[in-house]
Amino acid sequence: MGFTFAEGPLLESEWYNFDALNVPKDHPARDMQDTFFVKGEEGKVLRTHTSPVQVRYMEAQMKKGNPPPYRVIVPGRAFRNEATDMTHEAEFFQIEGLAVGEDITLAHLKGALARFLRGLFKGADAEIRFRPSFFPFTEPSVEVDMRITGERAPAKLRDKWIEIMGAGMVHPSVLKNAGVDPEKYQGFAFGMGLDRLAMLRWGIDDVRLMHSADLRFINQF
Amino acid sequence: MKVSKQWLQTFFDAPLPSAEELSNALTFHAFEVEGVEGDVFDVKVTPNRGHDALSHRGIARELSAILNTPMRVDPLRQPVSLEPKTDSVTVTIEDPDLCCRYIAAHIQNVNVGPSPDWLRTSLESVGQKSINNVVDATNFVMFSLGQPLHAFDAGQLKEKYGKYSICVRSAKSGEKMLALDDKEYALTESLLVIVDGNSDVAIGIAGVKGGKPAGISDATKDIVIESANFNGVSVRKAAQVLKLRTDASERFQQGLSPELSAYGMRAAVDLILELAGGELAGFADEYPSPQKQQSVAISTARVNALLGTTLSDDDIGGSFTRLDLSFEKSGDEVVVTPPLERLDLNIPADLVEEVARIVGYEKIPATELPPFPNKPDVNSNFAAAERARKDLLEKGYSEVYTSVFADKGERAVLNKVGGERPYLRSTLVDGLRDSQERNARNKELLGLKDIRLFEIGTIWKDGTEQVMLGIADQDVKEVALKGQDASVYEDLPISSAERYEPFSKYPFIMRDIAMWVPQGPDAISEVLVIFAQEGGPLLRHVELFDQFKKDDRMSYAFHLVLQSFEKTLTDTEANEVMKRITAAVEKQGWQVR
Repeated sequence: MGFTFAEGPLLESEWYNFDALNVPKDHPARDMQDTFFVKGEEGKVLRTHTSPVQVRYMEAQMKKGNPPPYRVIVPGRAFRNEATDMTHEAEFFQIEGLAVGEDITLAHLKGALARFLRGLFKGADAEIRFRPSFFPFTEPSVEVDMRITGERAPAKLRDKWIEIMGAGMVHPSVLKNAGVDPEKYQGFAFGMGLDRLAMLRWGIDDVRLMHSADLRFINQF
Repeated sequence: MKVSKQWLQTFFDAPLPSAEELSNALTFHAFEVEGVEGDVFDVKVTPNRGHDALSHRGIARELSAILNTPMRVDPLRQPVSLEPKTDSVTVTIEDPDLCCRYIAAHIQNVNVGPSPDWLRTSLESVGQKSINNVVDATNFVMFSLGQPLHAFDAGQLKEKYGKYSICVRSAKSGEKMLALDDKEYALTESLLVIVDGNSDVAIGIAGVKGGKPAGISDATKDIVIESANFNGVSVRKAAQVLKLRTDASERFQQGLSPELSAYGMRAAVDLILELAGGELAGFADEYPSPQKQQSVAISTARVNALLGTTLSDDDIGGSFTRLDLSFEKSGDEVVVTPPLERLDLNIPADLVEEVARIVGYEKIPATELPPFPNKPDVNSNFAAAERARKDLLEKGYSEVYTSVFADKGERAVLNKVGGERPYLRSTLVDGLRDSQERNARNKELLGLKDIRLFEIGTIWKDGTEQVMLGIADQDVKEVALKGQDASVYEDLPISSAERYEPFSKYPFIMRDIAMWVPQGPDAISEVLVIFAQEGGPLLRHVELFDQFKKDDRMSYAFHLVLQSFEKTLTDTEANEVMKRITAAVEKQGWQVR
């Protein structure tokens, strides 16, 4: 589908992690309990999502004189300051997708995600369903559910709607903050927990296994 | 937020559909319903809609649009009067940025008493306790319209020349207030307080909690009602500092329309007069800069261009009409003037979302992306990582991810939950060595001779963030992962695993068995069948570690790894399994050595 890998630092500035993504200064996500701040380095956080790479990538391209279209995919670590249990990890993996051009629509997001899931689930049928949601960096914003059907679908997932990610059309302020003209360009972005996706795909019951470095787990794959 | 179906029904003439249908209507067109208990929903109002939807009226408005059913009456679309005015209470606001409107109403000779059943049940249905008719009336209006209110006992306020005075100012350092929850709060200068202007004593923490001394009691006769608009950020910070989140602070922190204060006030006063009697002296309204109306323009072409749909002008106009967003045509565009409470509608994309959710996201087709016109870049760092992966996986190494948090390092996080391992690692070596040691304990279970691992991970060293390749075999070492120019990525195979098999958390026991078996092509598989039959679920792993031929017989020696999913296996239990296996092997006429 023409996506290329992109990356960014894990120790991120508040600008890229929050402000540039239209997360206002007084947003609860910026409070101490959710974000890891760094001792002696004001304005630095462990990134709470892979979304800062959206802005970093577009900005770098614009500086190089390459306007959209852009298609990038950003797998990487992200951090939330919370106690860990079977479904929560302070360190987790996300995968971020971004497609920006003159004519990229929410319908393309549906199409691209369905195609990705058909690949992941090896030819099983995948349907995508949107529900209204809110993220500061997308407008409209949606929650994305998937339904894997057909004989090739894993039995535990078959025919069930399962929430897999948040997504939406990139907020004009985010494009603007990256130096991209929001009057001319638009696009979609999505962010998905890779751990959760893998847990669904392979029936893994404890998210902590993903970072356990335990070969009883790893060598199964 | 708890929402009662019966309460919602009061806004409609037509009977509302079943709880399940309502729940789906909200989930797919507005807000996720996180739970339904009988006729009460737990609705997760999104942060952008806290302005208008944290109330039964707000949810009713949404349902009216989604179900395309008119509301019987929308209280926020009725004329509202704050007459008569009174000078029996005066209002002073120190900083209008922190409180842009304050309305006080003065009612005399009320009869404080129990609430009627309908009011008590309504409040109880959404998890609130009934207190008395006056307090219940203010709470009811908050859950109904979304405007928090407060009632003060005027008898506890100081009169000066026959007048009461309410002042909104920053708290002074050292100031204290006993709140309605019977706790004394030490106030700081960052907090906004309501004070009795004649005595300068704090009677409430703005938008968070009222004070005990001026609280409503059975003896109360005269009351002053507050309906105000406090700055959301300031209320949120106050609630955090005081560790006191209330239904009022939850609403104010979203940022409310100051216009709502008038509707809330009028509704509360009318209800109090009805339930508790009394005479309304009048209202004092301090509102220095009234809210300005905003409008946003959007065209049908723009909606379709963003959504990838082919909606008509009527689809779009119809969505706005259902949502009660007034609009006017202007060339190709419609100019929408959102009602006072919809502070979330500021840019065209906000309107696109309104159309999308009312029309329904299921109307958006799944369209393939157009071909990408450029050749996708190959990211040199990913290319290098993929090359290292391919190389090491082929050599039998396993890839691991270990934590970035460590006992030591150059940088530390400020606020780690639990406080353990607050440093950011400055090397991959420690984490790899640790996981090598832990995995070594399971070598036999894994059927591995040695543990070979690698990690591609970030470290923070010499003041920079860098990606390293760490390798653990006889030795543990790391090198910086240098980007590599490549024209394509390595084609790494996708895992062929279908499902993950949970493993036992209990220790395993390893036993060896060696035997003579007649030579033949199926000899080993016959042995394995016996092992599987007799070992059952306890036999986790079998490894052939020695074989040799003598005359027409083969000698085979196996490691058998035994482990239970339920408990730590005892020696006796392991011996029994081995006895069964030995007996079964000997029954074949083979000799166990």
